[in-house]
Amino acid sequence: MESVFGLVGKDFAIVAADTSAVHSILVHKTNEDKIMLLDSHKLMGASGETGDRAQFTEYIQKNVALYQFRNGIPLTTAAAANYTRGELATALRKNPYQVNIILAGYDKEIGPSIYYIDYIASCHKLDKAAFGYGSYFALAMMDRHYRRDMTIEEAIELVDKCIIEIRSRLVVAPPNFIIKIVDKDGAREYAWRQSIKDSPVPAA
Amino acid sequence: MSRRYDSRTTIFSPEGRLYQVEYAMEAIGNAGSAIGILAKDGVVLVGEKKVTSKLLQTSASTEKMYKVDDHVACAVAGIMSDANILINTARVQAQRYTYAYQEPMPVEQLVQSLCDTKQGYTQYGGLRPFGVSFLFAGWDKNYGFQLYMSDPSGNYSGWKAAAIGANNQAAQSMLKQDYKDEITREEAVQLALKVLSKTMDSTSLTSEKLELAEVFLTNGKVKYQVCSPEILSKLLLKSGVTQPAAEAS
Amino acid sequence: MNCPLPQAISPKSTQFLPFYTQIRTKSSIFDCFLRLNLSLMSIFEYNGSAIVAMVGKNCFAIASDRRLGVQLQTVATDFQKIYKMHDKLFIGLAGLATDAQTLYQRLVFRLKLYQLREERDMKPETFASLVSAILYEKRFGPYFCQPVIAGLGDEDKPFICTMDSIGAKELAKDFVVAGTASESLYGACESMFKPDMEAEELFETISQALLSSVDRDCLSGWGGHVYLVTPTEVTERILKGRMD
Repeated sequence: MESVFGLVGKDFAIVAADTSAVHSILVHKTNEDKIMLLDSHKLMGASGETGDRAQFTEYIQKNVALYQFRNGIPLTTAAAANYTRGELATALRKNPYQVNIILAGYDKEIGPSIYYIDYIASCHKLDKAAFGYGSYFALAMMDRHYRRDMTIEEAIELVDKCIIEIRSRLVVAPPNFIIKIVDKDGAREYAWRQSIKDSPVPAA
Repeated sequence: MSRRYDSRTTIFSPEGRLYQVEYAMEAIGNAGSAIGILAKDGVVLVGEKKVTSKLLQTSASTEKMYKVDDHVACAVAGIMSDANILINTARVQAQRYTYAYQEPMPVEQLVQSLCDTKQGYTQYGGLRPFGVSFLFAGWDKNYGFQLYMSDPSGNYSGWKAAAIGANNQAAQSMLKQDYKDEITREEAVQLALKVLSKTMDSTSLTSEKLELAEVFLTNGKVKYQVCSPEILSKLLLKSGVTQPAAEAS
Repeated sequence: MNCPLPQAISPKSTQFLPFYTQIRTKSSIFDCFLRLNLSLMSIFEYNGSAIVAMVGKNCFAIASDRRLGVQLQTVATDFQKIYKMHDKLFIGLAGLATDAQTLYQRLVFRLKLYQLREERDMKPETFASLVSAILYEKRFGPYFCQPVIAGLGDEDKPFICTMDSIGAKELAKDFVVAGTASESLYGACESMFKPDMEAEELFETISQALLSSVDRDCLSGWGGHVYLVTPTEVTERILKGRMD
């Protein structure tokens, strides 16, 4: 089942997520990217109801872009997190989106940061965060091995430990994961961790 | 000829002018003036109060200077009742932004949002424009200290030194002559007082005719401070725009 | 029905729900919350919290735990539950964290506009009425929060009060408590509180009351956060307790 987690390192933040699109007992896809690039220096990892996740993250992404077009300056990570929280909170009492969000970003003055926003719109700045069934393993792993001054290599090693733990201990473990990073040079895809590939489509 | 295009704000005259908007600006030309100067360590706002009567109960608060948010203040020239409405909308806008993003609103965005309101009244029928010009002084983390001037048409622009209200053109040209880049806040106060003393109708400057407010940083936090009449009197003496004898008379 | 939480009782039994859930035609998350409310868990206990305020001699103290949890999982141990409204006014928000955050943000909005318009700070009594009014606005879909308000009023007279989630004020002269640890807090405060304590003794008392209470509550704890407010200064202290 779904696993999204992230951590803040020395001068970067990492978000990792499973890539399974699941509905009921069926796995539709194992290469679904659940981490969206919000803007040049922000990542939004999301889990939850598939439709809500796609709709909501895109809505936020477009509004963050609109802000930048209108005002010529980008939102800070904190502002984007609070904006996202606000939108979730207003939706909560109308027609709630079921999405849990890990928002990672890098600001020049502040450095890297991660915000935890759950579907009922509780928002908190954290060093390490996780959602879904994978969170039980990822949080435990990170509690044991995490340090605030980790290098990218050390952090990736920790992320891999988390992924291995999820794969080996979770009954409904997803096979594939994606890892993205944000640092002073921007937000980008870092690596995939695939244990199965989608079967190739035969030629017509 | 122009009569036909006078009555409505929304209609252009054949020469491409909006008379009501121009009249609104005219109204401001008669109001007490205000000067704003951008210094390297802050922004200074000085305003001239039109003292109407000794019998008038003056409230404790300022007449021409208003705090809009913790990091933005404005000086007003024009019709005060119109200004009160606009200041209130500006305050609400600033708080709405903070509510949405949990951050102070960037100064230019605040000025822009207020000017959008002003612009609306030059276009939608049956209403008159706001007879108010503003000087906005503020600080934000992206652009530091800023000074903006806005007029009834909804135009706004950033300035190093600006004047609104009566005699604003004379004041503006004096500022242009005397303004130096890298001016300090203290020098800016002196300059503003000097310019105002020369452009004001009244012969001598006294503290009850003036208001002075500053926006600056203390320990990394923005502060808006209104100068008390006592300190203002001392400043006036120091800058030599009032003689002690003149004050006694 | 898109219910994210296990449905505790079948939808058939809606006739047993409080009337304000029945007037909602659209099924929302809150129907699920309220359904759970009847059997397993109250939504007030979803995140966990413990808040207490005490009056001393010309001073007061307000304290909270620091845990943010999602039921039994601890998410953070540095969560803010007490907010400073101005130098002499504090509010602690127990209950559902999301509503606490929303409520706090709305209060800041209203308070700032009040300060700009009136050019003075709000009195604690006035603030309590504001909180009450904002809560009652949502009478039929409340913020799941229990506020604790503490401040220094005219002539620095301490004022403390709490209210329920729909804004019924409850004033007190000695102490007020809120949150999942409120029962044990009542006990601790009842036996530790003395009237007219000086600032330092008050700090010791409120800290001991808080720490001993959260140790008997699974949903709150992970240290404490204490504000001690006298007419001249505000002292903020972080407490370490049983960090498990």
